[in-house]
Amino acid sequence: MSEWLQQAIARADSIQDGFSDQRAASLALLKDTKWPTRKTEAWKYTPLRAVERTTAVAKEEPAELAPVAIDGVDFLELTFIDGQLISLPEELPEGLTVEMQESTLFGSIKPSRHVFGLVNDVLAADVAVVTVAEGVSIAQPLRINNLLSEGSEGHIRVVVELKANASLSVIENGEGYGATLATAFTEYQIGAQASLEHYRFALQVDDNVAIGGCHFKLLEEAKLNSSIIGFGSALQRIDTDIIHAGEKADAKLNAIYLLDGQELFDLHATVEHEVPNCTTEENIRGIAADRSRAVFNGRIHIHRDAQKTLAELNNRNLLMSNKAEINTKPELEIYADDVRCAHGATVAEIDKKALYYLQTRGVSRSQAQLMLSFGFINELIDQMPNEALAEWVRPIIRDRFAQMEVK
Amino acid sequence: MSNENVLLSIKDLHASVEEKNILKGLNLDIKPGEVHAIMGPNGAGKSTTGYVLSGRDGYEVDSGEVTLAGENLLEMEVEERARAGLFLAFQYPVEIPGVSNLEFLKAAVDAQREARGEEAVTSAEFLKMAKEACKQVNLPVSFLKRGVNEGFSGGEKKRNEIMQMMLLQPKLCILDETDSGLDIDAMQVVANGVNSQRDGERSFIVVTHYQRLLDYIKPDFVHVLADGKIVKSGDASLAKELEEQGYAWIQSEPTEDELED
Repeated sequence: MSEWLQQAIARADSIQDGFSDQRAASLALLKDTKWPTRKTEAWKYTPLRAVERTTAVAKEEPAELAPVAIDGVDFLELTFIDGQLISLPEELPEGLTVEMQESTLFGSIKPSRHVFGLVNDVLAADVAVVTVAEGVSIAQPLRINNLLSEGSEGHIRVVVELKANASLSVIENGEGYGATLATAFTEYQIGAQASLEHYRFALQVDDNVAIGGCHFKLLEEAKLNSSIIGFGSALQRIDTDIIHAGEKADAKLNAIYLLDGQELFDLHATVEHEVPNCTTEENIRGIAADRSRAVFNGRIHIHRDAQKTLAELNNRNLLMSNKAEINTKPELEIYADDVRCAHGATVAEIDKKALYYLQTRGVSRSQAQLMLSFGFINELIDQMPNEALAEWVRPIIRDRFAQMEVK
Repeated sequence: MSNENVLLSIKDLHASVEEKNILKGLNLDIKPGEVHAIMGPNGAGKSTTGYVLSGRDGYEVDSGEVTLAGENLLEMEVEERARAGLFLAFQYPVEIPGVSNLEFLKAAVDAQREARGEEAVTSAEFLKMAKEACKQVNLPVSFLKRGVNEGFSGGEKKRNEIMQMMLLQPKLCILDETDSGLDIDAMQVVANGVNSQRDGERSFIVVTHYQRLLDYIKPDFVHVLADGKIVKSGDASLAKELEEQGYAWIQSEPTEDELED
């Protein structure tokens, strides 16, 4: 067991008097959990040295930080700094509530197998619960900011419930400055015929260790459209879980990772098809430059009763250097016999035909390579439903490319 | 010997693909302003000629010389050939999702203008030029925003090729089976686009399997390519003869299959 985990448990022990039964159960489970090693399947390619050696500490007083500005998008904002909830939206539209409590949903969507999920269960001091009332559509996106100042450790937890026929757009924005450590888990329950547009950005990451997840439970005819964009850091690990718990639910997940230097990025995407007639489409694309390492594990589990499932998983990667590394593993587990399922994972260089085509128009080889790599990612940015957000993120991705290209 | 009056000179060109000889002694001289049609049966080396001249990977020149405006084309990189004035309109233009048509066109025009030492055009100026070119080939302006050829129909892809030609203003255009898969209306749009670019200086190689495109783009010369070399040349009337009689009367032996794409 790592020293860091021992300290986390000691901290939880010191505050456990106020714990709900759920958090007490998580603490008991955590004490019984082994520290992941290279032999632990879910962490096989993602060494935890950065956690073991972290110098980040929980701060008593949160620093003063402001989240990145995004022109053209009018947000409602929920801001955590150094793990503490600093601000709630000033005026909430009718039908939207934000409360600090442990709702009955706490921990029921997020899987309990995850050691950092358990740490988050016991150490996330303020659990924000967002609820959209039945039939209510919230026009303004809700941005959840998780900001960490230099050397800080923080744990945040948000629970979001969309009642039947509700709709909401949520942007999870993680920003860390210098060597920080964060766990950030968000649990979503999307009610019958409700619709969630979701984004998770990890674009300001420095030497961060950031481990977290987005867990979605979809009830009947619920819709999810999620876009995740991440740069690598000392350690970025995101677990997404999509659980189809009601028939005719529809989930789409697009994810992008762009890695440079010695960065590490790990996305574990799990989809549980528990009931019939649901659809899933996942497009995950990444580029690894220099000596970076990407890990992708995409599991789709189709339960025995989940007939007429349509599920597609596609992971495509580009390697920009021969020292970069991509570990990709799509996994299909199908126990129903009337389903349509496709998965694919590729690690390739740039499409030679497209490169030639651009060159025949006079574009230099190096510029053509840059245009094609950017295009490979931009194709998913084009699919983001919120155009203003796409316009904001596109130049950030371009700058990232320019940096990746220099080496 | 390079003749100052010759724009493109191909001398005894031998080329192979995956160690298979495709071009076996191709000779062709093209003067400024001329339109040459190259016809021939499948597998004769028609598309290979375009790929070899443009410098595609995997198309190896074994021997021979090619000059464009007196410069040795075979020593240049693909993009340098384009900047020197060579344009190949593809039979199967490539789809590039994620790269907008406008971004692609501007990058191409910028690269060529820079190589020629010309001033860069501003984004606003370029947008105006591109919109005008769209109009000329009857493509909706919205196609500029879409990914390069992404989801375009066969005819739209061909018109997009002609639009690129209009913006790039090359010295020599090779149209590789630009008529394939087009109905008469679409073919007319393409032919009008090509004809609008004939200015007495710009030269064309029109590669086609069928005579009908040549009703719209009138060639000065027609060549029959068979088994990697030109076996017969004539004026526009040769195309008519071929249409009526096929290629069998020209070549007695069957040609080898060609590896294309």
